[in-house]
Parts: sequence; structure tokens; C-alpha cells
Amino acid sequence: MPLLDIRNLSVEFSTRAGKFRAVDGIDLTVDEGEVLGIVGESGSGKSVTSLAVMGLIANNGRVVADKMEFDGRDLRTLTERQRRNLTGKDVAMVFQEPMTSLNPCFTIGFQIMESLKVHEKLGRSDRRRRAIELLEKVGIPAPESRLSSFPHQLSGGMNQRVMIAMAISCNPRLLIADEPTTALDVTIQKQILDLLLDLQKERGMALILITHDMGVVAETARRVSVMYAGQVVETRSARDLFTHPQHPYTGALLDALPERALGKRRLPTIPGVVPGISDRPNGCLFNPRCRFAQDKCRREGVPLFPDESGAARCFYPLQVTGGVAA
Amino acid sequence: MTAVYQTPAAPTARVQRETVLDAVDLKKHYRLKRGLFRADATVKAVDGVSFVLQTGRTLAVVGESGCGKSTLARMVTLIDPPTSGELRFDGKDMTVGSREEARTLRRKVQMVFQNPYGSLNPRKRIGTILEEPLVINTKLSRAERRERAVEMMGKVGLRPDQYERYPHMFSGGQRQRIAIARALMLNPRVVVADEPVSALDVSIQAQVLNLMVDLQEEFDLAYLFISHDLSVVRHIADDVMVMYLGRPVEHGPKETIFAHPRHPYTRALMAATPRVNPALRQDASPPRGELPSPLNPPSGCHYHKRCPHMTDRCAVEVPPLREVDGRRVACHYAEQME
Repeated sequence: MPLLDIRNLSVEFSTRAGKFRAVDGIDLTVDEGEVLGIVGESGSGKSVTSLAVMGLIANNGRVVADKMEFDGRDLRTLTERQRRNLTGKDVAMVFQEPMTSLNPCFTIGFQIMESLKVHEKLGRSDRRRRAIELLEKVGIPAPESRLSSFPHQLSGGMNQRVMIAMAISCNPRLLIADEPTTALDVTIQKQILDLLLDLQKERGMALILITHDMGVVAETARRVSVMYAGQVVETRSARDLFTHPQHPYTGALLDALPERALGKRRLPTIPGVVPGISDRPNGCLFNPRCRFAQDKCRREGVPLFPDESGAARCFYPLQVTGGVAA
Repeated sequence: MTAVYQTPAAPTARVQRETVLDAVDLKKHYRLKRGLFRADATVKAVDGVSFVLQTGRTLAVVGESGCGKSTLARMVTLIDPPTSGELRFDGKDMTVGSREEARTLRRKVQMVFQNPYGSLNPRKRIGTILEEPLVINTKLSRAERRERAVEMMGKVGLRPDQYERYPHMFSGGQRQRIAIARALMLNPRVVVADEPVSALDVSIQAQVLNLMVDLQEEFDLAYLFISHDLSVVRHIADDVMVMYLGRPVEHGPKETIFAHPRHPYTRALMAATPRVNPALRQDASPPRGELPSPLNPPSGCHYHKRCPHMTDRCAVEVPPLREVDGRRVACHYAEQME
């Protein structure tokens, strides 16, 4: 049984311009101890998905799903109290901006010990000992003296370490990291990704890594889902995805990376932009930007077609139509 | 001081490359007041940087936060005049010139900023934004200005009917196109681009990079391209300068540096850049620790505390920037970096 099992999840927001479907019928499964990468450009719905799992969708949003289970427990029918007991303990999250996700008015020691107090019911001295251990674990030098530091006294990388220490403080079974390194320098990014993977291996924790950076996913995740305009358009193992993408969007996204265009003066691009609230096309959501679009793509909605190594939401996947640039 | 590094002409150069801007030993030191009872501190944001910008070529400045790359951009555009050093535009030092000369430089050296959401005035229409440089610097009539603006919009891939629109009606990529168009309104010879694509998605990033390449060819522009992303730099640059805490550590032709980096910091940056292609990945551990505070940089080589090759000499002696193997590098042991 997968640890997290989500079927047909949709999240709809009512806005002044009408109803907007940010997440549109996605399936997501994560096994115990697995690293799943979710990639997508801005507006693809990857962050909203994770917020829906955490139960953090604002009041103007509506979450519907056929199934939404964590470790066999239905997330849809949890009471507020049950959810509070679950989030922060069994399911934890690391957010993108370490500088704004920590409370500037409290010391980092207080913020780490808070979750230990709520979830683990530890006494004062035990909490302190545990917090020091955690800071040591995430590689913060001189942890005892750091407990009384405020977030503004630490660098971005150090604050992100504190966020990770908070997230793992109650030994979560699933950690969701939403763009955990986007605000950081590359050398620090590498340190943080290494740290997340070490912790994941050591604790057998499941990790969902959400990012827009193809390189980051390629280096960390075992399985990858690519999102576009609220849908999962392709999902398969990282190795297969990056060598033999099946969906034209995945292919085009990879081709647009400067890394893959060595020696070329111009980069291959994807024309147009991600559809917004008012210009969602009929049929396949990618069809107006797709080089291989046929009449069928403009008419009919596309389901996810399973294949040998995963699934792609495309009538004419690349390996079959031979459209991929190797 | 050794001679300024001269870039060898590209083998495929069709036209004569001419030097537009020649920066010699630029420094920018900021004084920081630390209260009544403590002495003022000095932050050496940029500490001795020299380079040459040539028409039709791109110099990329790479480094992490606090390395001084944005300060460098502000100096070259004279937004913030350098503390010392020379900035020669067409052979003439602009840092000692009159206000009139500074105005010329500002016209001829334009800038594109990182965040297209913050760099466009939300209360102004696109047409007004594009025409503003012409209003200030030229005597063109209203109709002529409009004609120029519409023409430039066409060049950066915007439609003439978008002239009346406001910035919020555009996506991030389109806004960056507007910012680039604005920078080109006065026919500059140098464009300083400070992280122009780092706020954009991959597919949009490719569009904007292509646009920059096309415009460089069309107008024979010299680019000073500031970025932290080595994949982007490798794509767009002709020459690369890697900076660390205000000092250049490695500077030379792109191919030379990417084929065989000789400064440990350059190597660390390359190893830390995430790659999609497993064959390009380098399995090296990232540099230890954090970037030191520029207020209190380490003695000797600024990088020595994080460097795996450091010796006692590195903690004492500042490595000079010297010519090794076709590039300039500031490491005592550059020859041994294999």
C-alpha cells in the first residue's frame, strides 16, 4: 500500500474572474522511502497540489478528490484536530522562502521546540536537548548558541537548515519540500539537497520534491511527474524521463535547457505561454504550443496513457511519432 | 600590475571587434557606520576588477550572492561611481569626466534588471515607459517617439496594439522583453544585464536568451551579462569572469575555463550546478561552510577557508591574478589543478 495515495484531485478557486481550476484531476502516489520529483513551470499547480495535501488551501478554494489517503487514513474526512495532529508530525513541509516562513519575532530555538512541545509532549529540558541534536543533524555549527538566534541573524542557507530541522523534528514519514533551494546560491543548494537526501535515506522517509529546476530533479528524484496547467502530463522514472521523454511538453522543456544546446547559438523554445484563467484551450491543454498537434488533440481531452515505463497524457507520444530530438 | 587581459579574437569573427569599454582596476568600497563607539567599517564590495567589453561580444560575470557582481553593474552604468579605478568608454575615462560626459556614458551604457515585476512602473503604459528615455535625452517630437517605440516593440516581439497596455497585463517573459526594449531605445553600445533571465521559467528563459542573441547581432552590442547560472553563462558568453567576495578569481575565454577550470572555486561552482545529463555531473562534494561576511573577509586568499586545496600560504598571502594556461587566475596552485 502506498504511503500517500491520491486519485483525481482537483482544486478550484473562485475568483472575481470566475472559477479557476489550479489542479485538474491529478493522481499521485508515493511509497514509503521514495523520492518523487514534481516539476513544472509557474502556474502548473505544483505548489497548490502540495498545499492541498497539507490541508492548507485558503477559504476560496475547493478541494475534491476520489481518494486522498495517507497511510490508509482518509485525509478528506479528518477533523481539524486530527489534521493538526497529523501535519507537522507525520507529514511535514519545507517551504521555498526560508526568510519569510520563519517567524521573525521568535528565536529559532523557540520555533523548533514549539513543534516538539505540541506533538511529542516532551518536557522543557528534553526539548532543548532534542533541538540541539536537530540543529547538529542539519549541519549548523555551534548549535547551543544558535538556539537563541533570531532568523535575521542567520543567512538564507542557515535558515533553510532550520526549516528542515523543524520539519524533521517529529520524525515525519512524508516530507514535502516545495522549491527548498530556489532562493539559495548553487553551492548552498547542493549542500541542502545532499542534506535532504541523506536524511531521507537515513530515516526511510518519503520525500516529495517540488521544483521548476530540471537539473535539481534529475539529480535527486527516482520518479518524476511533470505538471502542466494543473495536470500531470507525464510520469516515469527519472532516468527514462530525461533520456526518452514521451510527452512533447517534457521534450520541449528539456530541449530549452541551455545545458542541452551546447554549441548552438539559439535555443529551441516553446512558443506561447501557459494558459491562464481565461484562455484554456479545448482538447489537450498543450495543443496550442505543441509542434505535433493534430485535429484530434484540439478536439478531445487526453487521458494519461500508461506505457512500459510510466504514463504520458498524449495521443501521439514522441517515441512513437519519432518527433524527439535525441 | 599586469596588463589587462586581452581577449583573443574569436576565430569566426566576421567583423572587426572594437573595444567599447575598458575597465581598469575598478574598486567600490562602502563605509559602514557602526554606531557612536565603534570605528566605521569598510565593505570592499568590489576590489580591483579589470575587463574589456567588445562590440558583439558577451562577458559574463558569475558568482554567488555577495560576490560584488551587482555592484559591478552599478559601477559600469555609473549608477554608483567607483571609489577608484578607470572606466574608459571609447578610450576616455568617464569617472573623472564632467557631468556632460557622464550623461553620454549613461546613454550609451544601458541596463536590464533582474526582476521585470519590479523594474517597470505599474502606473505607466508600455508606450510611455519606452518613450521616457527619448523624452529625457532627445528632441524628437511626440509622433517620432511613438514611431521609434512601436518599431522597437516589433524588434523584441511585442505587437503594436500593446502600446497602450500596462505592465500588469503582461507575463514575466513579455515584461523582460519590454525592459530590454527600453534599454535599447537610445541605441546603446553596451547593455549591462543583471540576472535578466533568473526570474523566468525555462521555456521563457530560452525565448529571452534567443532575443538577446538576435539583438546583439543586429545592433552589434557589447553585453556585460551577470548571472549565477553556469548553464546560462556557458550558452551565452564569449568570456567569463568568476568573482568571489569582490575579487575576480578566474577570467578568460569561455571554452578555456569550462574545458579546464583552474580555480578551486570555479570548479566547486561547476560541480554544484545541477545537470540533467548524468554524463555532465561531477561527483564532488560542495564547498564547506557559508560565504564569509564581506565585512570581515578571511585573510590571504578569500576562498581559503572553504577550499579543499588550502595550505598555510593561502591564509597569509593574497594570490595575484596571473596568466596561466590561456586565462587569468588568482590561485597559488593554479598549475596543479588537474
